[in-house]
Amino acid sequence: MVLVLAIGDLHIPHRAPDLPAKFKSMLVPGKIQHIICTGNLCIKEVHDYLKSLCPSLHITRGEYDEDARYPETKTLTIGQFKLGLCHGHQVVPWGDLDSLAMLQRQLDVDILVSGHTHQFKAYKHEAGVVINPGSATGAYSSITYDVNPSFVLMDIDGLRVVVYVYELIDGEVKVDKIDFKKTSTATT
Amino acid sequence: MTQSRSNSSKPAIISEEQQTNTHTNTNTESIETLAEKPEKEPELMVKKRVPDWLNNSMLSSPAPVVSPPSKSRSQSPPPPSSSHHDLLASYTSKSSSVYSYNSSTVIQPPVPIPPPTFIRPEPPTKPARTPRTDFRDPLTRSSDSDNDISSSVEDASRQTNLIQALSRKIINMRELRRLASEGIPDSAGIRSTVWKLLLAYLPCDKALWSSELAKKRSQYNQFKEDFLMNPSEITRKLEDSASLQNGENTSEGKGLLPRSEIPHGEHPLSLGKTSVWNQFFQDTEIIDQIDRDVKRTHPDIDFFCGDSASSKANQDSLRNILMVYAKLNPGIRYVQGMNEILAPLFYVFKNDPDEDYSRNAEADTFFCFVELLSGIRDNFVQQLDNSVVGIRSTILKLSLLLKEHDEELWRHLDITTKVNPQFYAFRWITLLLTQEFIFTDSLHIWDTLLSDPEGPQETLLRVCCAMLILVRRRLLAGDFTANLKLLQSYPSTTNISHLLYVANKLRSHHHP
Repeated sequence: MVLVLAIGDLHIPHRAPDLPAKFKSMLVPGKIQHIICTGNLCIKEVHDYLKSLCPSLHITRGEYDEDARYPETKTLTIGQFKLGLCHGHQVVPWGDLDSLAMLQRQLDVDILVSGHTHQFKAYKHEAGVVINPGSATGAYSSITYDVNPSFVLMDIDGLRVVVYVYELIDGEVKVDKIDFKKTSTATT
Repeated sequence: MTQSRSNSSKPAIISEEQQTNTHTNTNTESIETLAEKPEKEPELMVKKRVPDWLNNSMLSSPAPVVSPPSKSRSQSPPPPSSSHHDLLASYTSKSSSVYSYNSSTVIQPPVPIPPPTFIRPEPPTKPARTPRTDFRDPLTRSSDSDNDISSSVEDASRQTNLIQALSRKIINMRELRRLASEGIPDSAGIRSTVWKLLLAYLPCDKALWSSELAKKRSQYNQFKEDFLMNPSEITRKLEDSASLQNGENTSEGKGLLPRSEIPHGEHPLSLGKTSVWNQFFQDTEIIDQIDRDVKRTHPDIDFFCGDSASSKANQDSLRNILMVYAKLNPGIRYVQGMNEILAPLFYVFKNDPDEDYSRNAEADTFFCFVELLSGIRDNFVQQLDNSVVGIRSTILKLSLLLKEHDEELWRHLDITTKVNPQFYAFRWITLLLTQEFIFTDSLHIWDTLLSDPEGPQETLLRVCCAMLILVRRRLLAGDFTANLKLLQSYPSTTNISHLLYVANKLRSHHHP
């Protein structure tokens, strides 16, 4: 039972001052085992805050990140799943699922987490699952104006992943979940 | 008549004892002469002095010098025939003569309870279940050749008595208690069965055993399922039962994954009080503490702390028991020290040669642990510390008991050297003496504690009092630091049968 937080595109301080209060009250240290962050934090203070939630923090570089040392892509294995991480501005057209699927095959992962579009998406294709956690602060994006703050928490338990989607709609936190099972024969 | 029999002529070991008491009958040589000893002056037998039988150097614990290899129980030089058995005989005859002697004095001891057989046999042979033990296992300590003959005779007789008592259809609890208080042999899983009976886990009627056991064990497994599942499994079970039509969307090739509602706001970051997840995270603190303590239990014994799979499994069992107990008792949860009380129980039950009992040791231990703890749980509740039932008042009771039996020592400890009993007695009482002696000795002490009809708490106080009295010489000679040091690391070479004998004698004075 591993809890993995997928979060990104905060754009602090340029486009948003901070995480929404309701999100911040829920994110307490001690509950989450890993954090994967798509990028565009943008400053070190946000990095430190995320690190305080969980020492195991994985970030990839977004185009506005001030720290140039983050990698472009990252892969990690948690439990039975291979996760891939990429900000997504490198994949053109932005947010195109077929192109993301190509990246997924390239990284050879079961779950690809990418951002940049500031829209939550969970999409499945033969090679695996693509998850976009959206923007945790609801920062404006160049692609769309209507942005709801959102992030994703994955509960990895054996061959099964339960994806909890946290969205802030009209000031209220709405949580949905998505179930996903990995077929053990599917080796990408 | 030699009024002042000083012991200066005696060998160095007991030379510390200053016998100003004129009624010294402190040496074995005097046994023969005891009969001819003239009557003593009653007025010198002041009530506040330690009674004779207590003042006997033979009842004192051995000085820190290396004890003679033959493990003699008394400090006086052995009579010419230095066999252990003779010593036993002389001791018995001596004590009975002390009784007859004392009956003529002011202090009237009540009906003298015959001393229980007090040779605790080291197991002369390795127990049959050797595969589970290794060189570090305490129960396979080899015994002296000296003790072999006499102790194995005692052991065998006790064993047959116990087996006989256990083989009845309806077990006579009083008789079992009496036999158990003399000490339970280490072999043939007798201790395991006897403890289960003493802790009221098994009923007296043997015919009911199998049904009771089955019921209790399934109850424990139910507890484990209810309490030890993590929230992922719980939510999975909930939704599996709720809807079976959440189709296998792995069959789909492509498409947006369907989102579904979550039941009752159950998500991992939920802060709600009723949330399964929230409760889970709140419990992790306790689970962490239990885990830490379990790993530290008895690090020198391979059964608990080793690299093998069996010790890991044992640790898991201990952890499960403590977690289920913590969940079932939200008032007291887990307190450090419960693991120490659990350890001997689990050890005894798990090492039962009977396969069935050994496999189900975890469930059996859980219920016996609950039973044992129910009597002493007040010691673990911090809020009750200062109340009538709390640990402070128990320590006070111990202090009063000591004052009643040995005022001189009490005065010296409490007033002169100001050794607050809380410094040493706290651990003695809350942990039922598991930390003061080596593991096998504490098992023997528990035999007596559990079998006494007065209950473990009362008996414990008497044993603690006896522990103090046995080292009285050193305590009287020491200051605060020395006394504290001695009491906090009580000499583990103490002869346990000796100690329990003295504790038993204290009872006879307590209830006139």
